Amino acid sequence: MKRLQENRIDQISKYLQANKLDPELLPEILDHLACEAEESLWDGQAFEQIYQDMVKTADAQTLLNLSVDHQNLLAMEKSLNDIVFENRNKSYGAYDLRKGYGQTVQRAVVMGVAFFLLLVMFPKLYARLTPDPKPDDVAWLVEVNPVNIKMEEPPVPPAKEEPAPVQKTVKALTPEVLPDNEVEIEELPPVVEDLQNAQPSTATVDGAENIDVIAPPVENAPAPKAEVAGVETRRDETFTHVEQSPQYAGGNEAMSAFLRKNLKYPRPASQAGVQGKVFVQFTVGSDGKIENATALKGIGFGCDEEAVRVVKMMKDWMPGKQAGVPVRVRFTLPIAFQLD
Amino acid sequence: MENNTTSNEYVRGTLKTIVLNLLAEHDRMYGYEITQEVKDRTGGAIALTFGALYPVLHKLEQDGLLLTESVEVDGRLRKYYSLTHRGNETARTKTDDLERFIDAVRLLLAPKKLATE
Repeated sequence: MKRLQENRIDQISKYLQANKLDPELLPEILDHLACEAEESLWDGQAFEQIYQDMVKTADAQTLLNLSVDHQNLLAMEKSLNDIVFENRNKSYGAYDLRKGYGQTVQRAVVMGVAFFLLLVMFPKLYARLTPDPKPDDVAWLVEVNPVNIKMEEPPVPPAKEEPAPVQKTVKALTPEVLPDNEVEIEELPPVVEDLQNAQPSTATVDGAENIDVIAPPVENAPAPKAEVAGVETRRDETFTHVEQSPQYAGGNEAMSAFLRKNLKYPRPASQAGVQGKVFVQFTVGSDGKIENATALKGIGFGCDEEAVRVVKMMKDWMPGKQAGVPVRVRFTLPIAFQLD
Repeated sequence: MENNTTSNEYVRGTLKTIVLNLLAEHDRMYGYEITQEVKDRTGGAIALTFGALYPVLHKLEQDGLLLTESVEVDGRLRKYYSLTHRGNETARTKTDDLERFIDAVRLLLAPKKLATE
């Protein structure tokens, strides 16, 4: 099989292009002519000769006719879009959209109208599809069993025994005749005139009249209450908080003067340089006496004992009072030991 | 040349049917192949010119009856044509139509022959 060389093919191609053949047709015509030429080569002809023949058969007029024929055949269905998109990229998408525009609009209109009609007609359609209930329609069946109904006998109301109307009567017994020893003599209470000159007694005694009898006062008469109800104070109890705190006679200043005068700094404490507070707890009795003095918390070195000793020396406290009554009160006194 | 132009006149009307019919017999063909096939079968009585064939092929393609497929052969593009499903149906109906038409034409031409016999 003889093949056309590329330059020969180019030659034919250029010839076709020079005659302004439709580019859509060009590759096919080229192939066609090339095939023809190859066959002629096969028959032993020279290419120059073949080319001359080719140009003779496919002369300028023939090629022009071909292009025009082709255009006319295809242009039958050419629309405005084809003219607009001539020599433009049709595969881009706008061409398809334009081409399908008519159909799309048509479809959209049909669908829109159908939807609108459906929307408008829906109530009527629905009413038509659901039949009206007829008056003799049976909604649902209920099986009914015969029920045996017994007449219940009404309870007989108990006959009310109405008391028969009683006539007004007065006790009037017929006097009974009895023998003398059986007759009871009724004792009637003494009349007012009898009591004017005699005292009531279990028996009637014929005594002396006008004796003044002074009856003693009844012993269990209620005594006036001295204490206010509800605020009962017990003297034996020891309070920690009272309405009126106990106080050293002469006030706090007198007490601190007393303490200053009597307190002696213990030697071991002053040697050790100990200072601080000793809390002495004691009880102020309802009579103002100091009892049970102890050091609650101390600093040691003899300070505790010294503090307790001085506290015990104190007298003349004014007792604390609860509801106005002097009571025993527990009292804590801080005593400060301070080195100068 | 005289003979050739008259045959071309008839070919013009039947060209579509001929092309579709040929493609129905083959899987795929290219333009030159079709002209060769026609030439071989008719003994050169009908010669398709490229000027007539290619516009018809393009028209059929535009109508959706043909599929095309370009293959590079010997340094040039060769366009193969094959029938679509619709092209197959059209080929059948067109062939039937043409056969009926030929029969009718025969009937038109026949009486003379009968009379002469």
